[in-house]
Amino acid sequence: MFEMDGDGKGKKSKKEKKKERLEGMKKEMDIDDHEITIEELEMRYDTSIKKGLTSSFASQVLERDGPNALRPPKGTPEYVKFARQLAGGLQCLMWVAASICFIAFGIELARGNLASFDNLYLAITLISVVVVTGCFGYYQEFKSTNIIASFKNLVPQQALVIRDGQKNQINAVDLVVGDLVEIKGGDGVPADIRIIFAQGCKVDNSSLTGESEPQSKTPECTHENPLETRNIAFFSTTCLEGVANGIVINTGDRTIIGRIASLASGVGNEKTPIAIEIEHFVDIIASLAIAFGFTFFVVAMFIGYEFLEAMIFFMAIVVAYVPEGLLATVTVCLSLTAKRLARKNCVVKNLEAVETLGSTSVICSDKTGTLTQNRMTVAHLWFDNHVHAADTTEDQSGQSFDQSSETWRALARIAGLCNRAVFRPDQEGLPVPRRLVVGDASETALLKFTELTIGNIMVYRDRFNKVVEVPFNSTNKFQLSVHELEDPMDLRYLLVMKGAPERILERCSTILIKGQELSMDEHLKESFQTAQMDLGGLGERVLGFCYVYLNEKEFPRGYKFDSDEMNFTTSDLCFAGLISMIDPPRATVPDAVMKCRTAGIRVVMVTGDHPITARAIAANVGIISEGSETVEDIAIRKRIPVEQVNKSDARACVINGGQLKDMSSEDLDEALRSHPEMVFARTSPQQKLIIVESCQRLGSIVAVTGDGVNDSPALKKADIGIAMGIAGSDAAKNAADMILLDDNFASIVTGVEQGRLIFDNLKKSIAYTLTKNIPELTPYLIYITVSVPLPLGCITILFIELATDIYPSVSLAYEKAESDIMNLKPRNPRRDRLVNEALAAYSYFQIGAIQSFAGFTDYFSAMAQEGWYPLMCVGLRAHWENVHLQDMQDSYGQEWTFGQRLYQQYTCYTVFFVSIEICQISDVLIRKTRRLSVFQQGFFRNKVLVSAIVFQLLLGNLLCYCPGMPNIFNFMPIRVQWWFIPVPYGILIFVYDEIRKLGVRRNPGSWWDKELYY
Amino acid sequence: MEPTSAAGGAGEEQLDNQPGNSSQKGAHKHGHELEEEQEELAEHQPLEQEDLNFEKWKRKPLPKRTLYQTIASVKTYLWNAETKEFMGRTGKSWSLILLFYSVLYLFLAAMFGGCMCCLMWSISPYHPTFNDRVMPPGMTMAPHLDAHEIVFNASDRKSWKKYARSMDEYLKPYNDGVQERKNIHCSQEKYFMQDHLEETLERKACQFKRSWLGECSGLQDPHYGYSLGKPCVFLRMNRILGYLPGQGKAINVTCGVKKGNPEALGEVEFFPKSLFDLKYYPYYGKLRHVNYSAPVVAVRFAGVQYDAHIYVKCKLNGKGIINDSPTDRYLGAVSFTLDIGA
Repeated sequence: MFEMDGDGKGKKSKKEKKKERLEGMKKEMDIDDHEITIEELEMRYDTSIKKGLTSSFASQVLERDGPNALRPPKGTPEYVKFARQLAGGLQCLMWVAASICFIAFGIELARGNLASFDNLYLAITLISVVVVTGCFGYYQEFKSTNIIASFKNLVPQQALVIRDGQKNQINAVDLVVGDLVEIKGGDGVPADIRIIFAQGCKVDNSSLTGESEPQSKTPECTHENPLETRNIAFFSTTCLEGVANGIVINTGDRTIIGRIASLASGVGNEKTPIAIEIEHFVDIIASLAIAFGFTFFVVAMFIGYEFLEAMIFFMAIVVAYVPEGLLATVTVCLSLTAKRLARKNCVVKNLEAVETLGSTSVICSDKTGTLTQNRMTVAHLWFDNHVHAADTTEDQSGQSFDQSSETWRALARIAGLCNRAVFRPDQEGLPVPRRLVVGDASETALLKFTELTIGNIMVYRDRFNKVVEVPFNSTNKFQLSVHELEDPMDLRYLLVMKGAPERILERCSTILIKGQELSMDEHLKESFQTAQMDLGGLGERVLGFCYVYLNEKEFPRGYKFDSDEMNFTTSDLCFAGLISMIDPPRATVPDAVMKCRTAGIRVVMVTGDHPITARAIAANVGIISEGSETVEDIAIRKRIPVEQVNKSDARACVINGGQLKDMSSEDLDEALRSHPEMVFARTSPQQKLIIVESCQRLGSIVAVTGDGVNDSPALKKADIGIAMGIAGSDAAKNAADMILLDDNFASIVTGVEQGRLIFDNLKKSIAYTLTKNIPELTPYLIYITVSVPLPLGCITILFIELATDIYPSVSLAYEKAESDIMNLKPRNPRRDRLVNEALAAYSYFQIGAIQSFAGFTDYFSAMAQEGWYPLMCVGLRAHWENVHLQDMQDSYGQEWTFGQRLYQQYTCYTVFFVSIEICQISDVLIRKTRRLSVFQQGFFRNKVLVSAIVFQLLLGNLLCYCPGMPNIFNFMPIRVQWWFIPVPYGILIFVYDEIRKLGVRRNPGSWWDKELYY
Repeated sequence: MEPTSAAGGAGEEQLDNQPGNSSQKGAHKHGHELEEEQEELAEHQPLEQEDLNFEKWKRKPLPKRTLYQTIASVKTYLWNAETKEFMGRTGKSWSLILLFYSVLYLFLAAMFGGCMCCLMWSISPYHPTFNDRVMPPGMTMAPHLDAHEIVFNASDRKSWKKYARSMDEYLKPYNDGVQERKNIHCSQEKYFMQDHLEETLERKACQFKRSWLGECSGLQDPHYGYSLGKPCVFLRMNRILGYLPGQGKAINVTCGVKKGNPEALGEVEFFPKSLFDLKYYPYYGKLRHVNYSAPVVAVRFAGVQYDAHIYVKCKLNGKGIINDSPTDRYLGAVSFTLDIGA
């Protein structure tokens, strides 16, 4: 409404309003629950930190505040969605046409001419066409939103709550403000919670802030910003380890994540490229239709037709020129592809996004979970002075290393015992890599690794009774535990230790080589260093392992080990080996990245991870290809300072968040331009946006993958946002256009392929649909200018558009690609339009023209054979349509009543209809390919298309020969020979197009190619 | 649930630890220093208020072009002086494309012309290929009515003058002189078949004389009974080439009240009789049957009730005749209202 005013005042108030809203948002964020004392907190929420709420009070609060769940974003009301379907550009034209019909009917009625109900029928038909296509579009939209809704039905989260002093397991949905809840490692945090007691509690905030580092939670207030302080745990984050108690301070939509989610959902979707294409095209069609209609309206008035008649001409031209079935065709084609994609684990929220994926030229991919398996896995081991590679495949199908060495046994024992991670119960049936574990990532990796290599680790641990344990802390940088031995006769204690390799090495004096304890010499240290550096350089996290048998005399059974004092030997240990871990890439990713490369799509890695890890994974999956160097690599190779390296020599580039912070947007653009292989590491969510923006500035269509809430702005910003189905948060799924159910990068490539195919096929489909508009339009032009009896009626046109030709045009969506579309560059959205000049010109002025000639040949034949010579038809219109002329003479002197002439006119409609149908069969055959010969593509390979042709013929026959048709839909049973008159034109269309394709194939780049290839 | 993040606490810090080692090779050291630096810069950045303002990240719409710019771009499109392009094409390009289209359309026009020639060659000028659409015959009447009603006052000359004039016009070709000069006198009571004649020869037509219409001929009463309140109407069956009506039995005509009191119409007289004689059929088309005169039946409503609105329907009766079509009220019948004032 403010745009309407346009004056300064309006703008100002708009700005003010915006500011107000922002302020309001800030205020909402103001939480002081973390700053007040626990007593105050108890007062505020009427609760007790010992007994929790009373059940009755809790139910009152639940009634007041509603359930603790994120309300699905408030969508557009259903009736608005439906109304929108009825008010598109073409639909508006149809409304205009329908109202003209109504007016015409009204005037005729007022004149007392009850004979012609045609206009009323037409108006009703037009309106039902609009309504039916509207319902169809609405249904499609409804179905795709339903797919999304199904994601929300996740397993209900449980929460351990203390009410009336008793612990209860309840649905997290029933939590209320003031509830005292308990969380432990592995639980999701069920609401925003003020921590009042914590023990080693660490929370993964990545779904909220995108930080991958777990944050410890303590009861103390450490920061005034609620997002930063340690004594608040947020809804939807996960507790990794430890336990904590806390008071619920916010539930449902009032939680921080709820606010973010509702904000993200408020952002309107950008128009997709295909939507822009279609809108662009509809605009042109609509304006052409109006221009055409208006011209002929003026011409008709000038020739001397009545105003009413001229209006009807206008309406008829609009009906003939507008491709009524086009939108339905496009929707069906897109939804077919969406269905096909869903089978391949890509769920498309927004139908049009299918095509966007096809025009994507840059994919900004997350690392964790998308490119990698999202689980730490043991990748390498170093023992006996050798690096051994472990099996990192998802299904354990890879090669394993030699496990015969004594050293390996010792190393495995340490890895198994010095580990606090445990499997969750009741998972015996699951394969080991899939089992859930309580513990941090590296311990989990080691647990699974040992479980796989030495068998049931839980039982194994029981055999070595744990006496004492020192958990990991950042000062020691190691973790140790002391165990009794398996053999009851052996009374020694076993001390096992793991930690940062240097720290472990410092404490070791000997090293185990092939089962023998050798003293640590410089040579061995050197080789340890090399191994550690090599593994570190692969982006792997390296841990050192050592052990010692404690002296039986010094530490007899029952010795009191103290974990704080560490009253036992922690030096002169025996070094066993190194184990390195990484989140390995998914097996299918390298292949998929390669495919992207051949398809001209750049894959940019954007991750919050460490640059070295990021680079290693990038190199592993092929984002940085073999032999590509970064500026730093060149500097090292040439032994020159980084500044002297010619930047354009470096294909690859790793930029981390810190560097990105100091770069201007021009610098970033330049970097993206000059280095084809880019990896961004240590990036914050804001920076992800900056990167997307920069890519878009360079004219790319950008796809972004993401899973966290913090990714939702980038997902919105991207031309196509892709959320992860498994790891993804609801907010990310809401913001995205597409959801990968298996979180697998390779599915994106499938999507790209389908997207490109549908673009090609839509082009064919639209070309097919547009062609018949000319043979639908020319009858009117000839009718008005030459005054022949009307060759084709409006209702017949609607039958062509919406009945017989829909199925064939949809069937083109099933057409196979003509060549390997994944070897082509992505289309340039500015140059390669869906509907270009060549397509329109070829369809309209060449194939369409041939079809018109076919129609008129058949029309004149039908007229002549019934007694009206072609030349006599010219100028016949006024008499022909004279209701009072009941003895009009034909070329033979026979006299016709008006009713007889009307049936003859319907015969003409039907004959013209049949001609268009016959030509359209030829048309659908030629549209199978744009470049290849149809013989190369195969006539019958597209079974759907063959059945569509059969369907078209059957429906045509039904319309012609079904009794009752003449008076309802103006179809007459026509003579069989009139079906065959347009056949030569059909053959001409086919031959002509084969010649065109031959020319296009033979002379690429020639005039012929430029003008005739669409 | 497995933690989503790959970077657990322990490992991360071990990586950090690496630069601390003194025995690194020079090259690596450089890399690690860099890394340490990065580590610092990339220190975690909390989400800020501003980041949650998602509106900010929406793509800005393209700036609206001003009217002036639009006009300018249209102008350049129409004539680009730099490249000498008219509507995006140079002169050469235009001439090539126009040449292409003229060749294409010439070919199509030739093909269409050829088809039309074939069509006309295949069609006989003497009899239509099919006549199913024009069958069965329609019926017309005189005077020619625009609103299906005959309304007049017998005493008011003006009110019926147009009817009389229309009838005059209608009967002109049936003047006895014309008929005698052009047509032959037929007396047979069966179809006048002339099929055995050579195809191109002109066919003879039987006389139908105006004088046979008696009181409706306009010869005795030039006002066709309108001035007397006893109006005449003429009925004729539509001509169909080769059609043999009634299959050997002449079609007869009846008139009656369609709805309302059947007495109101009174006595109805037919001239010359209420039949379409077989001898006038078949019709051989206007090319060969130049002087064909279709038989007329004159109907005289001699006893019509005055000042009444009478719905009259006259129809053909006979084999193969349809006179009650729901869609075509002139098929084998005519209907009109009579409203006569004194």
